[in-house]
Amino acid sequence: MTEDTMSLFEETALNAKNKRVQGLYRTLFMLMTLLLITPVVIILATLVVKGSAVLSIDFLFTDPTDGMTAGGIFPALLGTVWLVTVALLVSVPLGVAAAIYLSEYAPDNWFTRLINLAIINLAGVPSIVHALFGVGAFVIFFGFGTSILAASLTLAIMTLPVVIVATRESLQAVPQAFREACWNMGATRWQTIRKVVLPNSISGILTGVILEVSRTTGETAPVMFTGAAFFLPFLPQSVFDQTMAMSLHLFVVSTQVPHVPEALPYGVALVLIGMVLIMNSISIAFRMYLRGKKKW
Amino acid sequence: MRATRHLTAVAAIICLVSTSVSARTVIQNKGSDTLVNVAQAWAEEYRNVDSEVAVAVSGGGSGTGIAAMINGTVDIANASRKMKKKEIKRAKDAGQNPIEHVVGYDALAVFLHNDNPINTLSIAQLAKIYGRGGGAENWSDLGVTVPGCKKGKIVVVSRQNNSGTYAYYQKAVLKTAAKAGVIAKSKYRMGTLDMHGSKDVVDLVEKTPCAIGYSGLAYATDHIKMACIATEEGKDCVSPSVKTASDRSYPIARPLLMYTNGEPQGAVKAYMDWILSDAGQCILKKKGYAPVRDVSCN
Repeated sequence: MTEDTMSLFEETALNAKNKRVQGLYRTLFMLMTLLLITPVVIILATLVVKGSAVLSIDFLFTDPTDGMTAGGIFPALLGTVWLVTVALLVSVPLGVAAAIYLSEYAPDNWFTRLINLAIINLAGVPSIVHALFGVGAFVIFFGFGTSILAASLTLAIMTLPVVIVATRESLQAVPQAFREACWNMGATRWQTIRKVVLPNSISGILTGVILEVSRTTGETAPVMFTGAAFFLPFLPQSVFDQTMAMSLHLFVVSTQVPHVPEALPYGVALVLIGMVLIMNSISIAFRMYLRGKKKW
Repeated sequence: MRATRHLTAVAAIICLVSTSVSARTVIQNKGSDTLVNVAQAWAEEYRNVDSEVAVAVSGGGSGTGIAAMINGTVDIANASRKMKKKEIKRAKDAGQNPIEHVVGYDALAVFLHNDNPINTLSIAQLAKIYGRGGGAENWSDLGVTVPGCKKGKIVVVSRQNNSGTYAYYQKAVLKTAAKAGVIAKSKYRMGTLDMHGSKDVVDLVEKTPCAIGYSGLAYATDHIKMACIATEEGKDCVSPSVKTASDRSYPIARPLLMYTNGEPQGAVKAYMDWILSDAGQCILKKKGYAPVRDVSCN
């Protein structure tokens, strides 16, 4: 090898500079990413450090006592489970059905586009507006009173756009060739949806449901006017009862009740976040299992 | 679909678990944030008195409770101020008949940061701080410097305008001072920090050397100073306490009210009677409010 060809592989000043600049940007972007996760880490760490003192099985499964400055959070915990479950029972069938119609049946005309636009706009409505709508429509007009039903319906309407958009997108992600192959076998549209499209898009639909569960669990405004109470000495027995809720309970113990031990609000917040994380991980695990079965 | 079927099963289980509890009478109780913690304590204790009756408590402010009374959506509305004539008329027009019950008294404490050298304030001084055109903008206007308050400007902490505490303070301080000619109008000044709860006021003043705020005595903590209030400058002042609220010597103490729709009957009557009994009044006293009459509590 001559000296000439050797110098071809030697680092020139330009190479070195490019390398330095590249390294600089890499570090910069990495720092940005770290910055992004810092608040999450700090929040979780603070909650764990300050709140874990009150956490126990008793805390989860007993009633609050001494003017809500002691005892557990069971009524609020159960109330949130009620609210989320009833909201899901309403919004998932409704949202998935609407998404199937929009994605599989609806012709591409001005009316369909209008509906799509409306859904996107509905997703942008602030939760307090949904809350006031819920009071007017469900509590007063339909006469459900302040109840789980009214609160859950409000939550369901609030989260419908998320379910519809997520479902529609995962339906559209199923390759058109799958549908065409199925139609060519003589299947109807519904048979195609039932046997081909839905099984192939269930993981995406679940993503929408996960997002909904997380949002529903944490929402305070829509439930405080429509169904959640400051304090209830009983557990809800039907959807027509009022209930306590974790999100409102957190607001109450951290801003309304005097002489609350410092750890209590942190404990409530920790349980609330824990609920969301656990529900999310179950759904994510389920989704991964389903995705694993996908053949494309 | 699979997901739905799972969820239905979960819901069914929850329904089964919770229907095993027997049905009860529910009393809806809503309103004043000042009363909400006593109302909660009463509701909590009343379980042991009559297990057939459950009291559902919500806060939101006196205005919220009174509005619910007018709409007919509550059995008992809590209020830390009287219903206005206009509100009573609206309630009657809507077919309700609100009846007032005094269930206790509350001393409205004026809170200062622990580092604030002021110990005594007169109604006139309070009006100068809180009233529109009152003139007291800085702590130096009251002749003091507050350590830790760098700009010297008074941070005036008040409440949101549907609060009964807000309305009562306006009446007891600003209206009294306006009558005496200290300020022109019984209106709050602009630029007050309006907090959404008594506890928020205390939390803020506790951490802010420049601040002054007002709230029910029950919200006082060990880390905050309560001013001794004089009706006129130079006169003897009275400190807020359960005792001075009971004997009405503290100048800004107010009755705590519960409104029922018509004369109380059945479960509501039993509950109201129990609230006014020694047992109910002792719970109120333990929470830092003054009972309607002398009670001996253990």
